[in-house]
Amino acid sequence: MMVEGKNTSANNNENILEVKNLKKYYPIKSGMFGRVAGNVKALDGVSFAIKHGQTMGLVGESGCGKTTVGKTILRLQEKTDGEVLFNGIDVFSLTKSEMRKLRPRIQIIFQDPYSSLSPRLPVGEIIGEAVREHNIVPPAEYDDYITKIMRSCGLQPYHKERYPHEFSGGQRQRICIARALALDPEFIVCDEPVSALDVSIQAQIINLLEDLQDEYGLTYLFISHDLSVVEHISDTVGVMYLGDMVEYAEKEDIFGNPLHPYTKALFSAIPMPDPTVKMERIILEGSIPSPANPPSGCKFHTRCNECMEVCKSIPPKQITLDDGHMVVCHLYDEEVMANGGKLPKGSEDEHKAIDTNQTQAGEPEKLS
Amino acid sequence: MNGKFDQDEKKVYTNEAEEFTVGTLDDERRVKVLSPSMLVLKRFMRSKLAITGLVILILMFAFSFLGGLISPYGQSEVFKTYEMTPTQYASAIYNRELRYTVKDGITFDNAARAKTILAVNSGDETFTVGDQIYQLEIFGEDLYAISSTMTVAKVHVIKSFFTYDENVEGGIEITDEFKAAFEAAQQAGENTMAYRGNIYTIAEDNKNYDIGIGTRIAVASKKIFDAVDTADEPIINSVDFRIAAEVAATSKATTFEYDGTRYGLNYEEGNVTVLKDGEVFAAISDIIVNPAIDDTLLSSGFKEEARRAITSKENSFTLKDEAGEDVRFTVEQSNANYVIRTDMPTELIDMYSPPSAKHWLGTDANGMDVLTRLMYGGRVSLMVGFVVVLIELFIGVVLGGISGYFGGWVDTIIMRLVDLFNCIPQMPMLLILVSVLDAYKVTPQIRIYLLMVLLGLMGWTGIARTVRGQILMLREQDFMVATEATGIGVRRRIFRHLIPNVMPLLIVNATMNLGGIIITEATLSFLGLGVKYPLASWGTIINAATNVYVMTNYWFIWVPAGLLILATVLGFNFVGDGLRDAFDPKMKR
Repeated sequence: MMVEGKNTSANNNENILEVKNLKKYYPIKSGMFGRVAGNVKALDGVSFAIKHGQTMGLVGESGCGKTTVGKTILRLQEKTDGEVLFNGIDVFSLTKSEMRKLRPRIQIIFQDPYSSLSPRLPVGEIIGEAVREHNIVPPAEYDDYITKIMRSCGLQPYHKERYPHEFSGGQRQRICIARALALDPEFIVCDEPVSALDVSIQAQIINLLEDLQDEYGLTYLFISHDLSVVEHISDTVGVMYLGDMVEYAEKEDIFGNPLHPYTKALFSAIPMPDPTVKMERIILEGSIPSPANPPSGCKFHTRCNECMEVCKSIPPKQITLDDGHMVVCHLYDEEVMANGGKLPKGSEDEHKAIDTNQTQAGEPEKLS
Repeated sequence: MNGKFDQDEKKVYTNEAEEFTVGTLDDERRVKVLSPSMLVLKRFMRSKLAITGLVILILMFAFSFLGGLISPYGQSEVFKTYEMTPTQYASAIYNRELRYTVKDGITFDNAARAKTILAVNSGDETFTVGDQIYQLEIFGEDLYAISSTMTVAKVHVIKSFFTYDENVEGGIEITDEFKAAFEAAQQAGENTMAYRGNIYTIAEDNKNYDIGIGTRIAVASKKIFDAVDTADEPIINSVDFRIAAEVAATSKATTFEYDGTRYGLNYEEGNVTVLKDGEVFAAISDIIVNPAIDDTLLSSGFKEEARRAITSKENSFTLKDEAGEDVRFTVEQSNANYVIRTDMPTELIDMYSPPSAKHWLGTDANGMDVLTRLMYGGRVSLMVGFVVVLIELFIGVVLGGISGYFGGWVDTIIMRLVDLFNCIPQMPMLLILVSVLDAYKVTPQIRIYLLMVLLGLMGWTGIARTVRGQILMLREQDFMVATEATGIGVRRRIFRHLIPNVMPLLIVNATMNLGGIIITEATLSFLGLGVKYPLASWGTIINAATNVYVMTNYWFIWVPAGLLILATVLGFNFVGDGLRDAFDPKMKR
């Protein structure tokens, strides 16, 4: 029943998943012959790693590429570049049949519990279909197994005969979780699993996910825009902005000491359940730029309240601090800061950058 | 709040047994589990209009498929009726020509007859045809006897030495008395001689003498003799009887004698009857009555009555037939002819008969039962509808499914094919195609199937588009992504996930299409291009209404067919609407 590899790596501290410089471009075709006019850079070099039994939270605004990360890891769509290593195996190097064998070990839970269940199949079938397909359990144990899975997800055995339309959103999400869990996975991508649910149900689902993680030793990639949920469930947190991972650290680290201006802005929006605390919110101007035509330099510079001259033309480097806290921002680049945030002397972009600066001088860039 | 919910949930799934006994709101007892199809059925049953449509359709099917079995008549059974129609029974005409009665064994050909008429007109007493000499005896107006000399003996005379040839055909016995009479006449140089009261002619040819006697060989008369008993015809047709009878009749004598028998004569208007022993023996008349129908023998009684009516210028007469019933005959003069008609039973095709107990909706122009044809026509119309929809569905689902599922260039090609088909104007194209069938003289039975195929080939595009759109939409749904994530095979994904989700739309589409196809088929049949005689379809039946007279006078032929089409199409549309609403998940349960 246990998938091979789970035992061997379950008790060590190795990474179950490593994503290296993952890129996913969606070509924009135009004209009669489908000439590629440009690319929507949904993922523009994302790297991270998740350890066994841990939960990584992935946060960011809508459209920043969180879901693309999830789907690309599952190879539900092809990558443009980079690597996804699952237990050291490059997912994209597998053949179709090998991939099918791997499928049960990586599962996904979708955001919308309404569209993710086929309306024409009874719940038992939805959960058990793939179990039979992959021979997860011997046929004799099948019924008991499904019942067990359903119970552990908070569903009653008699729900098997019912159809999705007879369930509430929370129950449907339980069905989705049961479907993923039934395949005995090691790793589950939770793609905003609670966003569509109301707050009380969200708590139930989060609790369920945590219970299951303890029970089955699961690893989660928890994608969400809800920071409090991420704070609650995650061990590590990655912050994405426009296809880039801008900050990545242990949960305590990142919530206690956010470094990137975007992260700071995001975290300032977390509501405090204490009315006496005066909130200092950092409000970001404008909306997220188009990933088809991202800004030059640091992609965030158009909305950044600590924008420097250098940000507008030179992309920041990835800086890893001593405690493993990774951030992509010029503010933490000692070289750049030594230069006072100005462009390096003799840079080709110097002149152009100054011009751009002048034209944008009238616009307010900071707001506190 | 979260805590409270957690407790509730836990209670549900950990404390199950207790819950049943307590009898709280329990899922199992609360709602009966309904599959989506059952739900659809339930919703469908709620719609009054849909039920009406369903009932109509059930009735239509029963009418067409069971009705054909129950109906005692066949689809193309032609009904006949017997009707008394005035039919020409006999014709009569005043005889204006001489008619000849010729003695048996004598030839009296047309040349001789022509010469007779010439002689009559010029008043000659003899005439010659070839080397035969004929004498004409005039007994009265229009009664002539034609005689010719028959050789009875041949004599060769050499210097008063007489040699008698006794072997003359039809000759007489050469007696001494005969010899003496001849010798006396020969010596006197006479060319006649008398012997036993008869005058014989003597013709000389180089010492050869032919002794002949004039014999009546024919009689020319304008009177007609009809025998009462055909056995008497030899007597009646004998030359001498004729002459005796006619001479007597002309002189209005009441009796005459022939061959030792005394005959009586009876005079009535236009009729002269010959009586023998007080019984009617024959009729003499100048009116010829001939049967108008072959192989009919007119009775002498009929002829007598007919002549009486004609002479007395009556328009009709009545006669008793064999069964003793009065039969009325009408007499109508046209020029010299008299046409005698009577009502006779005639076999007619029972066309346009109005509704009756035998034919509830009457009969059509071909004498076929309209109701029965409606039943069989319904079979054709409904079957065409269903088969065409099945063909459309098959092509549409396969091509649309491939197009939607695989996408890319396959999709492009198939969709351009669909565009191409949509560019073809359907009606003209169909008209052309079915006239091609006409050109190949396809039998009506095979024609129906070809028609189905043609209609199917013309109509699949809509379904293909629908299926493609639906599959494109479903393909992006999370549950389809989930099937991929869970590693479910392609076949299962198509048949367990895609198809069932496309089905509702297909069912609705197909139901709606059915009505349209029935109308198309009816239109083609109405134009005479669809289902062909003798097979029926509702369209062909309505085709009768193209004739204004039929349309205005025989409503019972085309109105029911029109109503059936109307009801069926309405039924299909109601059911389609009902299904669409029932499948619509937004509708209340």
